[in-house]
Amino acid sequence: MSTRDNILASLRETLRQPDLPFPLLDSPPLTQAERMTVTSASGGLWAQAERFAQEIAAVKGTCELLETETEARLAIVSRLQIWVEEEQAARKTADAERAEDWDVLCWPPAQLHVEGLTHILKETGFKLIEPTDLHDPEQRERIRPVRAGVTSVEAAFASTGSFVVGAGGANARAASLTPFRHLVVVPFSRLFATAEDWLAEMRYAGGLDAYIRRSRNISIVTGPSKSADLEGNLTLGVHGPKVVHAILFDDVQE
Amino acid sequence: MQVDIHAPYKDRIRQALGDPNLRVAVSKATDRMDNARNASMDEIEGERLRSQLRQMKQNVLRNWPDYLQELETNLRQNGCVVHWAEGIEDAQAIVKDIALQNSAKLVVKAKSMATEEIHLNHAMEEAGLRVVETDLGEYIIQLADEPPSHIVAPVIHKRMEEIAEVFQEKLDMPVTRDPTKMTSLARARLRKEFFAADIGISGCNFAIAETGTICIVTNEGNGRMVSSMPRVYVAVMGIEKLVPTVEDAFLQLQALCRSATGQQFTVYCSMTSGPRRKGDVDGPEQVHVVLLDNGRTRMFARGYGEALMCIRCGACLNACPVYQEIGGHAYGSTYNGPIGAVITPALAPEITQFKELPHATSLCGACREACPVKIDLPRLLLDLRSDLVQQGASPTTEALGIKSYSALMSSRRMYESLGKLASIGSNVYAGMSGGNIKFMPPPLNGWTAYRDFAPFARKSFRDWWKERSKKRQRA
Repeated sequence: MSTRDNILASLRETLRQPDLPFPLLDSPPLTQAERMTVTSASGGLWAQAERFAQEIAAVKGTCELLETETEARLAIVSRLQIWVEEEQAARKTADAERAEDWDVLCWPPAQLHVEGLTHILKETGFKLIEPTDLHDPEQRERIRPVRAGVTSVEAAFASTGSFVVGAGGANARAASLTPFRHLVVVPFSRLFATAEDWLAEMRYAGGLDAYIRRSRNISIVTGPSKSADLEGNLTLGVHGPKVVHAILFDDVQE
Repeated sequence: MQVDIHAPYKDRIRQALGDPNLRVAVSKATDRMDNARNASMDEIEGERLRSQLRQMKQNVLRNWPDYLQELETNLRQNGCVVHWAEGIEDAQAIVKDIALQNSAKLVVKAKSMATEEIHLNHAMEEAGLRVVETDLGEYIIQLADEPPSHIVAPVIHKRMEEIAEVFQEKLDMPVTRDPTKMTSLARARLRKEFFAADIGISGCNFAIAETGTICIVTNEGNGRMVSSMPRVYVAVMGIEKLVPTVEDAFLQLQALCRSATGQQFTVYCSMTSGPRRKGDVDGPEQVHVVLLDNGRTRMFARGYGEALMCIRCGACLNACPVYQEIGGHAYGSTYNGPIGAVITPALAPEITQFKELPHATSLCGACREACPVKIDLPRLLLDLRSDLVQQGASPTTEALGIKSYSALMSSRRMYESLGKLASIGSNVYAGMSGGNIKFMPPPLNGWTAYRDFAPFARKSFRDWWKERSKKRQRA
């Protein structure tokens, strides 16, 4: 018998023991109806957006709440400009104004839910890096010095200040992972009170399991990368972004 | 002084207790994490969360082989390669083989207890690969050539100045104790490794049976790095780390984060359901999942299934007054603290191989109160002690002592005369040293080394009762 069959057979044999102390014979699964929602957030979308802002601030992220897509577009550009200035100010060497500061590792602008972004970014001097294959050594090298990444989200959770980034197609995992700063665009239509609300909506739409499998990888992100391994001292930006800035905007207009 | 994990049990504990840095670092950190856990469980219906998690995990174990098969089928459908490993050598061989087939040279690893369990780094290095731990804490102890001393906080036993020394010695870091500078240095060094690595290896915090999804939880982002950047990703998972559905995964995730560090969510939870497809920008081209038994089926058959619900949050370590004093290395095993004292012997081929561990506890019950799955660790420790006695593994003095005790207790005459003798003897002896007994010969000196022993009553209860009745009759 193979190792696999041995393992499965051994487990089945143990479960047949009538006097097995654990687990009890009657061990029902946790049903959808009884499973608890761990956290909660109340109110309409604006109240939830405010809660999101409060929660992401508690984990050292930052946030802006905007009323329209137009405002969001401007906010994205000005945030990236502020970051370039900060990068250049922090760099005290000769190449204080290196060109790479203007590089942005971006999801395809069509995926960001903000119209006209490509145009305005290019006009303001930014260079959008759009890799097609990050196992290609040249493209891989190209993203290394990039200091800013821009993505949207699959969903965001108000009660914890978390967001979900998916991967696949032209949406690079790297955009929310390798740069020092991550700008995340969250339209209100993707904002949920809790993680459980999102799961329930996906489940009832009939696609949760298919969605998870199709996504190959999703990451739930809650604030900037951090560690407390150095004797409990909180340090940010260990491997992932040190700066996480969320731009939430009302695309629903309640 | 450092704890030599290969030293005998009592020597390890003496070394740990003699290390002031260790005691400061461990008690400070465990206090911090224990308080954070309590606060974050109080914020929500913590008790309900624990009960529900227990129900879910118990159902997993009741239907364990079915969920495992469901997971296997779904992983395969998603394009993952599934391997089954019975023991340490199997598991090492599987991972080495993957490395060989991919002509790999450099491996980046995210923190994983399962790979500690199978001594994977050592095996890979012997096979000529370079292995780099990327969790900041793991990176430090890898540089210092030590094993982790805590399930979630591997370098909990070191203070800042000790960590700085390691960095200065191994990475030529300029003298500093600034945590921000040290973190930047590690980021820069490890970033090179992530971009160059051929293989990424992680454990698995939990796997979702219904979708065939491997979930890993980190705060630093190294879990996402190892599962995204290299061409090949290998997850080594203990076969018990299963959840039935996506919703169950989110329930366990939240219980895990709150219990481990008091967070609502960790910074990253990376959920991988398969390799990159054609047209995807990034992600691994191969995803291998190693399903590791290494004693789990044995432990289940032995009746220790309850401890297989463990989600490795470390809450029982943080709450344990013994762990708080001695830290992890003194246990001398991969898993330490209360859960380690249970699963180390229970997973081993013979429970007698770790016969001291079920005694490395005061049975105070703090671990049971802290556990998000409500595992009754004190009872399991007692079960282990009982099994050890059944297998004749108790020390000769203890066995002899119990034997003479039962002989003594079954004869009234012998009990009474010995009582009288003890009363006279102890009172004479105590009288010579000023009221209390200050010294007794071994093995009783274990008591008198730290405290006095009061002499026996001069008159036995029976004698006193007899006299009292006589007096009453006269009156």
